[in-house]
Amino acid sequence: MSSIPSPFPSVLVRSLRTNALDRVGRWARKRQGMDPNTTRLRPGRVYILPTGVGIVFGIMVFAMLLGSMNYTNNLSFVLTFMLIGIGLVSMHQCQRNLVGLELSFAGAAAVHAGQILRVSIAVTNHSKNTRYGIRLYREGMRTDALVLQAGESKVFTLHVPTNRRGWINLDRFGVRTVFPFELFRSWAWLHMDIRGLVYPRPAENAPEPPPTMVAHGHRQHDARGEEDFAGLRKYQVGDSPKHVAWKAYARSGQLLSKQFAGADTSSQWFSFSDLTVADLEQRLSILTRWIVDADRSLEDYGLRLPGAEFAPAHGEAHKRQCLEALALFDSSAS
Amino acid sequence: MVKPRGTDGSLLSSLPWTLAALALSIAPHLPYLPVWVIAAFFGCAAWRYLIEKRRRALPSVWLRAGLALACFLGVFATYATISGVGPGSALLAVMASLKLLETRQRRDQFVLLFISIFLVMSSLLREQYLWSLPYLLVSILVIMTAWLRMSATAGETARQSFSTGGRLLLYAAPVAIAMWVFFPRIATPFWAVPMDTGTARTGISDSMSPGDISSLSSSDAVAFRVRFDDTVPAPRDLYWRGLVLAVFNGRSWTQNDPFEGPRSFEEIEVRGEPVSYEITLEPTRQPWIFALDIPDSWTLERTVMGPQHQLARATPVDQRIAYRAISYVDYSTNVDLTEYARSWYLRLPADGNPRSRTLAREMRESAGSDTAYIESVIRKFNEEEYFYTLQPPALGSNATDEFLFDTRRGFCEHYASAFAVLMRAAGIPARIVLGYQGGELNPISGHMTVRQSDAHAWNEVWIDGRGWYRLDPTAAVAPDRIDYGVSDAAFEGFGAAWGFAAPSRIMHRLTLAWDAMNAKWNDWVLGYGPENQGKFMEWMGMEDPSWRKLMLTMIAVVFIIVAIVSLLLALRYRSPAKDPAAQLFQRFARKAGLEPQIGETAAQYAMRLGQLHVLPETTIESVTKAYHDARYGPDDDSALKRLKIAVAASSRQRLPSLPAR
Repeated sequence: MSSIPSPFPSVLVRSLRTNALDRVGRWARKRQGMDPNTTRLRPGRVYILPTGVGIVFGIMVFAMLLGSMNYTNNLSFVLTFMLIGIGLVSMHQCQRNLVGLELSFAGAAAVHAGQILRVSIAVTNHSKNTRYGIRLYREGMRTDALVLQAGESKVFTLHVPTNRRGWINLDRFGVRTVFPFELFRSWAWLHMDIRGLVYPRPAENAPEPPPTMVAHGHRQHDARGEEDFAGLRKYQVGDSPKHVAWKAYARSGQLLSKQFAGADTSSQWFSFSDLTVADLEQRLSILTRWIVDADRSLEDYGLRLPGAEFAPAHGEAHKRQCLEALALFDSSAS
Repeated sequence: MVKPRGTDGSLLSSLPWTLAALALSIAPHLPYLPVWVIAAFFGCAAWRYLIEKRRRALPSVWLRAGLALACFLGVFATYATISGVGPGSALLAVMASLKLLETRQRRDQFVLLFISIFLVMSSLLREQYLWSLPYLLVSILVIMTAWLRMSATAGETARQSFSTGGRLLLYAAPVAIAMWVFFPRIATPFWAVPMDTGTARTGISDSMSPGDISSLSSSDAVAFRVRFDDTVPAPRDLYWRGLVLAVFNGRSWTQNDPFEGPRSFEEIEVRGEPVSYEITLEPTRQPWIFALDIPDSWTLERTVMGPQHQLARATPVDQRIAYRAISYVDYSTNVDLTEYARSWYLRLPADGNPRSRTLAREMRESAGSDTAYIESVIRKFNEEEYFYTLQPPALGSNATDEFLFDTRRGFCEHYASAFAVLMRAAGIPARIVLGYQGGELNPISGHMTVRQSDAHAWNEVWIDGRGWYRLDPTAAVAPDRIDYGVSDAAFEGFGAAWGFAAPSRIMHRLTLAWDAMNAKWNDWVLGYGPENQGKFMEWMGMEDPSWRKLMLTMIAVVFIIVAIVSLLLALRYRSPAKDPAAQLFQRFARKAGLEPQIGETAAQYAMRLGQLHVLPETTIESVTKAYHDARYGPDDDSALKRLKIAVAASSRQRLPSLPAR
């Protein structure tokens, strides 16, 4: 991955360029409308312009044409016209290299604010021809160029920097190629409904989490050595295989976990209202830090938010539930 | 900012191709480039390759700057100028060498490939042979492959790049041909072009010194080619007039200063049938224009006839040119020669060659008349022991005396010079004409080829009452030279001497065929100028071709070709047609109003659809079964037909929608 080296040195020119690109982008958005999350590129939406190299090439060929005319040299006419022909053909080749590609949004794993959201886009070449030098890009970054063999599908990853919790949208990204000779760059803009969830940033120096409440159940270390069976619930990722109700699974085909009451579990309650920090985001950050730490040390924890409560548990699903709630927490709604 | 100089071997996939492209484009320049430039280029290329291969660092900025300065000064010192094809190509070669040493990234190779293209172009400005076209195409292919290697993505092989380059070249070729045919050619250049003044002139020089070491060209190089419109004149009439030498300093003959010599034009009276023909003259870098003696009219701009009927162009012939001319082989000049002109054509140095002068006086006295004297001199050459040879001995200070009395061996220059001296010494105005004599008719193409080995010198003497009269003393010595030409005589001798007439005859035929191809090539490819283009367009049916019409036609034709290429590309990149059964099943899904999920099998979909109660179970079942049979069953159409019918029928069988809950 590399950032695009801007050919425009001055800040003013760069801002003008950004402005112009924004306008063109808005125009394209208006023209194309919203794309479904799996989109095949029609010819009408693949744009093309010469690159810097292409412009230099054009100037050189024009000079060669003048030279050939001046020397009335028929073989240098051949050379010049071959180069013009190659230019024209490569223009069409460059556009055709994109047309027909299928792009589909293949997910974006949630991250914490400040981390980089990795948006996966699967690109499929349905044709019987290899497509060279395909790369995806969004404002400020581009992926490496890849080759897509006939029928091949590859996943490209776009990086979206995040700085605040909640949903983050990738309004627009592009796919482009300079194949074959870098004389032309053809590209297509895509506007898919791409959303990624951003959890709050774990606080840097959070206060100590509230003390662990060891729930002393009926610890009966009797001969049977069994804890009190309390019921079944849906299996969640992270539940111990020992607690899976295998007999029930055999009957119904559904994975269920046995729940035990009075198990000797140390559980914590992370409560929004117990925090004394005034700032809402800071509070959420602290809660996030606690959850992340508790999850790392495999402790059970519960989360109390105004209007929502998650009973103490552990595991990936539980953590995700809690963090999602924090990410989307809206104080005004509660 | 000092850039890092280290290399990491990342250029190894593209650098060899770039080096090959450069080497190929520099190859035609090798005979003309100074040795140090060639050494610098190949040295830098090898050096740069080893740096990349061993992942060493590039030379420092100071070393590069020093080399650059040295190289540019070197070019300037060698040529004393930087304009023209010679210094220009040397400069390009040097630039390529230096740029190689600072090529760090893949993209830096763009500059090298641009230089390659310019090197190919400048080699075409220098010379255009029949093989120049294949060379040109191969160069473009290699340059374009190098270009693709440079911008290739990881995982793209050199073989793929090569075939992509070849394919794009194939697509580009029709565009290039159309543009080449229709692009309007203009007659005159925009600006004067400095041609390489350093290159040796070829062909006939503007002076001759028969006493010096033999310098007659025995080269087989073509001087010009002629295509006669109707009849080909007899070999003895094939005198191709070039320039006229009238000043003798005792050793060398030169032209007279145009401001000093006789300037009155001699009028020509022509007789018999005109001979019209077209000459394609190879570049000589001299102003002389050759035409059959005596030219009456010619189609070449800025070309005038001098007072002695010699044709010259205002600018040297730096490129192959073609012109038409009409000549009369039978002619006489007017009868008046001014006293001044007469004295001019009688001038001899005050002293020198005493024996020749005495001989001339004695022979003139015994002959009685001018014509009798001329005949007796010719007879002397013919009957006495004079030999025609291309390797005559060198002559001393009284060259004419030594030749006439001692060595008695020489070629046309010796005989023409001696003859003129004998004439002038006897009071008969005489001059020397340089040009070509003869020519070989090519039976394959019908054109005549005149080679450098056909170069010839003959005399013109003034006979009162008849004007200038052509006399060829060499013909008196070696009549075969005139009647058959040099090449035929040499060829027969060669074949007889080695006793394999047949193979050498085949060789001769091959030579003729090659020459015929070259002639066609010159006429139709290299000589495709305004005139030929107009002719070709009229032949194709374009009325009154103008540059405007040509331009519009070119744009239209190129547009059509590019559209076809675009269509071909679209076909190449089309997605293969979907399985008909799958398409039918998809239509069924659309009708049912339930989108199949990714990775869902037909059976799973059918189960999901069944729960929706939009279609009767039987319909879903029959469609699913037909679909399975069509895709996985025996390879016949019956299942597909069943599927088609079932899908078509499904739309009529929708269940009434359930009441909303």
